[in-house]
Amino acid sequence: MAETLEQRLHAIRARLPEVAPEAADRQQATGAVILDVREPEETARGHPQAAYLLPRGLLETQAGTVLPDTDIPVRVLCGSGVRSLLAADTLAGMGYRDVASIAGGFEAWAAAGLPVEHPPPPAWPLSRYRRQMALPEVGEAGQRRLAGARVLVVGAGGLGSPAALYLAGAGIGTLGIVDDDRVEIDNLHRQPLHDEATVGMPKVESARAALRGRNADVAIETHALRLTARDAHALVADYDVILDCTDNFPARYALNDACVAAGRPLVQAAILRFEGQLTVIHPAAGGPCYRCLYPEPPPPELSPACGEAGVLGVVPGHLGVLQASEAIKLVLGIGEPLIGRLLCADLLTMRFRRLEVSARSDCPTCTRSQQGATAP
Amino acid sequence: MTQVTVHIPAALRGFADGASELPVEAGSVREALQRVGERHQLLVARILTRGGALRPYVNIFLDERDIRGLDGLDTAIDGARELLVVPSVAGG
Repeated sequence: MAETLEQRLHAIRARLPEVAPEAADRQQATGAVILDVREPEETARGHPQAAYLLPRGLLETQAGTVLPDTDIPVRVLCGSGVRSLLAADTLAGMGYRDVASIAGGFEAWAAAGLPVEHPPPPAWPLSRYRRQMALPEVGEAGQRRLAGARVLVVGAGGLGSPAALYLAGAGIGTLGIVDDDRVEIDNLHRQPLHDEATVGMPKVESARAALRGRNADVAIETHALRLTARDAHALVADYDVILDCTDNFPARYALNDACVAAGRPLVQAAILRFEGQLTVIHPAAGGPCYRCLYPEPPPPELSPACGEAGVLGVVPGHLGVLQASEAIKLVLGIGEPLIGRLLCADLLTMRFRRLEVSARSDCPTCTRSQQGATAP
Repeated sequence: MTQVTVHIPAALRGFADGASELPVEAGSVREALQRVGERHQLLVARILTRGGALRPYVNIFLDERDIRGLDGLDTAIDGARELLVVPSVAGG
């Protein structure tokens, strides 16, 4: 059985140390190197002073050039401490003798008030985004927020395809894509991330190619895995907004629970035949969670998969674009995201209903989260 | 008694002879479902438990308001026009 992300992180923690940001800062003063493995869009917003910058995807090919001395102590940093563990493991495997991951990542570094360096901003690609920057709700400040945002799209299928394409087009700085499937020919009528040339490829790789083609400024992080509850917790903590574009109930409940626990907003959509549902789960902002809406999944005869029930490509297409719209609103802090509202769309009758939904006082997920939040 | 239209979602239409809307006369949400059940017993069995409670994967909205926040199944129809049955779906 394939190793889950959580199992892998557990194994790495058993053989490599994690150090607090303050300790890494002291070690830097005595000769250690801080290696920031985040993407350029992230380090552009600030990085530890005098850190070496090398995105995780380039470690194997460029670490030898950036850090030729394998005896020098290396303290690896990312956004929240997950990617840095994986990168530290890679470096240890390449022969670096004294490698540790910085716990909590740059978030913890900045929160500790340690020295941060702000590189000069790159020449802003005004022409690319000028039509959306012309909106007063976006402007240049909003465009910078989009460029600094990390959005995770779970599922690169009917919902995830249009969502990811529009998020990349809008200039979201980092897009994470989760999917463990390969592209099949009967995906193409509804999944515009993929095309005939990518049939047979892992969907995350097909998605990476399509999204790079759409906007090379966007950093794409791929996660070729089928989401489990353990993976969900590790993954969502590393992103600002999560999109549930999955096609099964276990993944939906796992994402809900992980996002509520981590306090991350979850933009959720689901479809059946010509109908779709959309909501934004954000208990921190006062709304209900998925378990408040639906405490239990239905029996299989009431929840056929798209393959059995049939699906017209435009139905997930509409819902996926609406998910991207909600995610952009959340990043920009504009408008009224569908928190505490469930949009029910019927594309045959073109009836769109915005229904009021509320939290359940006996919801186990919300209750656990509140207890966790108030615990000393 | 008020006439109210019960909207049947795609996931449940197979238990309602394919109908998407069923007009009924009823004074409360529970009565409306009873009227529907007289002709479509299997449909209502997917919405309510044997004990008559709402199943945990279905929500009912009366004119876009969740009956959980009103009086549940005892909510009076009271001039409302639409009863919307919304089960959870997972397709993506």
